[in-house]
Formats: sequence, C-alpha cells, structure tokens
Amino acid sequence: MRKLIMVGMVLLLAVFTATASLAGGTIKLAVMEPLSGTFKDIGDRYLEGVQYAAQVLNEQGGINGMQVEVIPVDSELKPAIATRKATKLMIKEGVKYFCGGTGSSVGGAMVALTGKKGGLFYTYGMAAASMTGAKCSKTFFRACANTDTQSYALANWVASQGFTKVFTVAQDYSFGQQATEAFIKKLKELNPKAEIVGKVLHPIGTKDFAPYVSQIINSGAEVVFTSNWGSDLTLLLKQAKPLGLKAKFACYYLNDENAITAVANDEAVVGSVAAEVYMITIPGEANKKFVEGFKKAKGYYPTWLRGKAYLATMFWAEAVKKAGSAKVSDVIKAWEGLTYDGPAGKWVMRACDHQTQQPIWIAPVVAKSPYFKHAYVGEAGMVPASKVDVPCAQTGCKGLAK
Amino acid sequence: MMPKTKPAYLWAWPLGLALLAALPWILPPYQLRLVTEATIFSLYAVSYNLLLGYAGLLSFGHAMFFGVGAFAAAVVINSMEGVPLFLALAMATALTTLAGLVVGLLLLRVKGTPFALLTLAFNALFYAIAVKWHTVTGGDDGLTVFPSVVNFGLLSLDPGKGPDMYYLTVLVIGLAVAFCCYFTRTAMGQSVLLIRENEERMRFLGYNTNVARLMLFIITGALAGLAGSFYAIFNSFVSLDAISIEMTTKVLLMTFIGGTASFAGPIVGAFFYTYVQDFLSDLTDNWPLIMGTLFILMVLFAPGGLSGLVKSLAARLPGAKDKGSDRDD
Repeated sequence: MRKLIMVGMVLLLAVFTATASLAGGTIKLAVMEPLSGTFKDIGDRYLEGVQYAAQVLNEQGGINGMQVEVIPVDSELKPAIATRKATKLMIKEGVKYFCGGTGSSVGGAMVALTGKKGGLFYTYGMAAASMTGAKCSKTFFRACANTDTQSYALANWVASQGFTKVFTVAQDYSFGQQATEAFIKKLKELNPKAEIVGKVLHPIGTKDFAPYVSQIINSGAEVVFTSNWGSDLTLLLKQAKPLGLKAKFACYYLNDENAITAVANDEAVVGSVAAEVYMITIPGEANKKFVEGFKKAKGYYPTWLRGKAYLATMFWAEAVKKAGSAKVSDVIKAWEGLTYDGPAGKWVMRACDHQTQQPIWIAPVVAKSPYFKHAYVGEAGMVPASKVDVPCAQTGCKGLAK
Repeated sequence: MMPKTKPAYLWAWPLGLALLAALPWILPPYQLRLVTEATIFSLYAVSYNLLLGYAGLLSFGHAMFFGVGAFAAAVVINSMEGVPLFLALAMATALTTLAGLVVGLLLLRVKGTPFALLTLAFNALFYAIAVKWHTVTGGDDGLTVFPSVVNFGLLSLDPGKGPDMYYLTVLVIGLAVAFCCYFTRTAMGQSVLLIRENEERMRFLGYNTNVARLMLFIITGALAGLAGSFYAIFNSFVSLDAISIEMTTKVLLMTFIGGTASFAGPIVGAFFYTYVQDFLSDLTDNWPLIMGTLFILMVLFAPGGLSGLVKSLAARLPGAKDKGSDRDD
C-alpha cells in the first residue's frame, strides 16, 4: 500500500512538472482584430498573416524554444470591448503580448491598457502618426508605415514623375486629414513648383463621386493622391474612368486584390500606383521564398495585409529572441534599435518613438499579373527609409529612449 | 407598536457597506473589474430612468451627456497636468450640466415623439462635433487618460489600480446614485412624477412644468456626464463610442431589461447587461443579436423588466400580500 502511494505521488509530481514545463514553453500572442461585422475581411487577413508567422516560427522550434500560441480576439472595432477581452486574457491566461492592425482607437485603448498593466502591443496596420508621435508609449511598437511615411513615399513618387498639378481626395476624418496634410507638406518640400489644384475631404461611405470627379477634371490635375480605402477607394476609381478622368491615381491601398476586383474594370486601375511597406511583387530571393512558402501552406498569396502582419510578427519574434526571455521589459529593451532584414528590406525599430524605419514600396498596377487573372500591381520599386523619415525631434514623442 | 423589521433593516446597512469594502479581497481581479464597470453603468442607467421611468420622456440622446462627460474629463486631465481627480470630475460634470442646459432649453416645449427624435438629432450633432473637432477630442483616434493619484491624507487611491478604482467608483458613483434615490423622494422629484401623470392638472395647480422638466433634464445630463467621466478614467481611454448612438442603445437596453418601474431596475439592468455581454461575447460573435432578442422579449412579455418579474414572482409566493402599485416610487 505504501509503495502504491509512493508511485502515485511520483506520477502526480511528473504530471505537474510536465504541465508546468509546457506552460513555460509557450508564448501567447493575442491578435486584436475585427473578426465579425463590416471589417471582418480585413481582420481575417491580418490574422492569417500572424498565424502563418507563428506556424513558421513553431516549425523552426519556436522562439528560444517557446512555441508561439496565437489567440484570435474579436475586437469588434470597439475600444472598450477590445480592452475588456484583453484584460481578461491578461488576468486569466497571463497573456502579455498583443497585436492588431485595425482601428487606431482600438490601438490607443490597447496602448493605455498595456501601459497600465505591463504588456506590449505592436501594430502592423494602425497608421495614425500620433501613436508614435505625441501619444507614443514605452509599450507600443509600430512595424508598419504611418500617415507621414506613406504619404511621403507617394509625394516622392509624384515629385519624381515631374507632376506639377496635383489633386487630393481623402475621407473626412483624422486619418484622411493627416494623410493629405503630410502628402502636401512633403510635396511642397520636394517640388516647390507643384501646385495643389484641388483638395476634397468627403464623408466616409460616399456613394456618388461624380461631383468630385468633375472637380478633378475641371482642375486639370495630372495626378490624384488618395488615401481612401474600402468602398471609398473602389467607387472613386470605378466612377472616375467612365466620367472621363484621364489622370492616374497615387493610392495608399491599391495593392489590395479585393479592391481591384471590386472596381471590376482593369482599365480604371492600370497605370495608377500603390504604396506600402509590403507587396508580393517586391523583387528579391527573400520575398520570393516567403511568397512560395505562404502559397504552399495556405493556398493563396500573402498579399497586402497578410504580408504586413507576417513581417511585423517575425520582427517581434526577433526581439523576443534577442531578449532571451519572454519578459516584457526585456523584449522592449531588445526591440529598441533592433534590425530585421526580411522580405521587404531592412527594418530598424527606432528607439526614440518605436516607429520602424523601413523602405516603402511603390508599384504601378499592370494589366497582366502572374498572381491573378485581373490587373494587379507590377514589380515594386523602393523608396528608401531615409527619404520618408520623420526626424525624432519632429515626431512630438517625448519620454522614450533617445 | 413599531414594526420589528426596522432594526434588521438598520443592520443591513453596515453589513452591506462592509461587503462592498471587502469585495476586492473576495473577488478575483477580473470580476472586480466587471463590478466596477457595472457600477459606472448603473449611474448612467439610473439617470436615464429618471427621464424615462419617472418623467415619461423617451430620449434617444442620453449618450451625448455620457460622451461629453467622458471627453471633458479626458481633456481636463490631459491639458492640466497634475489636476486633482475630483476637480477634473467636477469640471467635466459642470460642462455636461451646461450642455444639458443648452439642449434642455431648446427642447423645453417639446414632448412625446418630437422630443425623442430631437434628442436623437442632438446626439448625432454632438457625435459629429466629436468627430470633426479632432484637435480636442482626438477624433477617431480617441484620447488616452491617465489621472493622478487621489490623496485623502493618510490614504491614497490610484485610479490605475483595479481595487483603488473600484473604491473610487463605489464612493462617488454610490453617492450619486444615493442622490438620485433621494431626489425621487423630494418635492421636485414627486412633481416630476405628477407631471408625467397629468401635466395639465399640475399647471392648473400653479406649477411651472417646463421648468421642472428642464431641471430634470439638466440633472440627469449631469449625472450621465459624471458616469461618462468615470468610464473614461476606468478605461484610461475615451473614444467616439462613448458619444455614439450605440451608447444610447446600451442604456436603453439596460433600463428596459432591468425595468423602468422601480428605482433599482436600471441598476439590476446595468449589472445584468455587463455580465451577460461578457459571458456571451466569449461564446459567440453574434452576442448583440441575443441581446436584441432579449430586449424584444422583455418589452413584449415582461414590460416591467427583471425587477418587475421578481416582484410579480414574489407576489405569487404563498403568504405574499398585494402591496398595491408595482412602482416603488
């Protein structure tokens, strides 16, 4: 009987030890995305990118031996709901790492939460410049472009093409306003002769773009800058061509195959350009390998959001690797100043504001694409990080390491 | 002879207070967070019910006050470094009072459906201002709020810490709810009830019913603003959600589910809504659908809400006496 008790105790001990080591061998990453409602498609695509990154990391043996567990969380695009769910995960499951790409308001709330409760939040899609500017935080990292850098890249392209008559169209809310302001500011710097012949800020969800298209035609604009997304982008492009607009568009988000499909008229998009930190048409072996691997694993291409989320997560993983532990303070320290050389070029996490310094890729939409039956972006050209950089002193971020 | 229930009733107070004080030790941190959130929403719902249940004014714009309070608290705390929390709350509530006065004056002579529609329009207007006035409200990006620690001499409370935020909430929101309860028993509170029942008669008796309604509108707006301020501090963040029509829908659901016919109904509704939402959102993305169905069922089959259901069940118990009206006002 005594022996039996001893064996039982040893067995129990073994079970506890095994469980404990398993718990210690996992690093949990919660993905805060809208996984229901209008923006489900966006959230799903970001999530797929993060999940693939976790798959690759786990196949390579994890991060410092720890397996990455991805926890999808439906933020519903509501800050209060996102933070409540995140708090639950922090308290009940000990989750410390969060990421997300949709909704700067959700991002702002998550930054406040992680700052208060000791977590880390990184984004691969939230573009509000203020998040790494006046509202920067020790616990927030951005591994994508912001409204300044993306607009600067397009301003570089417009200036390099020698266009002097430029029209801007954007959605009338903080994102559209900031994107337009940054574009105009940079363009004036690069080409003082360039003239903004018209500027439109329209309500989100506009259905009829005809009055705006008439304004563009009457202005004699050679090129149209737009930071529009969703139906505001597709309807603008769809309606512009039949109304007789010949000017091409310089867009934030035209490398989205779903947007091009929704326009349903290749002629309306061919020749216009898109700018992003990641495109599947980035030249080089590293990107080719990534695209092939993703396609093989998932059955579809890592376009736009998927690619961005993948790269950002791999960048975060590099920071955890360098830190040598899963402790948030160690990872923060390790990520500051870290360089990640991935499929989209060399990325450096700047310590002064936690904004990644990275090249922006620009590509024109071409009629024939090896990836899709419809038109899609052609080979991407690089705008170096140095050309889209906002100096530390100008970001408005105070209190982070210089 | 005095009824023997009074001493027991008196004992319940210190016991209840002791329980409230002990909750941070009893509840796990996440449950304490839910209680804090539900307490904040309780004030929001109670203030709404003063309009709906007591004065019979169906408003679709209560979130405008909740949102103004939330944004005002955030702006005051962010722009005046080191401002004492209570001063920030007082300033935010004062601003909401002013908003209530302006809107109330414009709605003074309107009742029924036009009143409901105009409050909806005002809410949309306030929402649009919050979106457009980006430099102050942060627009779609929202505002981060980190208030300073509250010092009571020997004791200090940090709103950034769960238990401290709970105590602050219970203290201030509890007092505000107690004030609402007291208000319903004052001559002013009673006159609001009578106006709802027969306004013409009240006028004949010499009451200025417009002034009474205006006062009520301002008071309920200020209380919703106070709840909004706490909501911003609780989340350390305020977004456009706080001033959206959805936030009005939320208070409408809480009040109807809890029951408009009693003072405690909206408090029950606020707790029920917070806990059920938390539970359902873990199970399904379609939780709003379930909440909506519940709301319809409540309106159709239990118009007295949860509190009404409890009362009618209690009345059916053997030995229960019919104490008259359902309303405990």
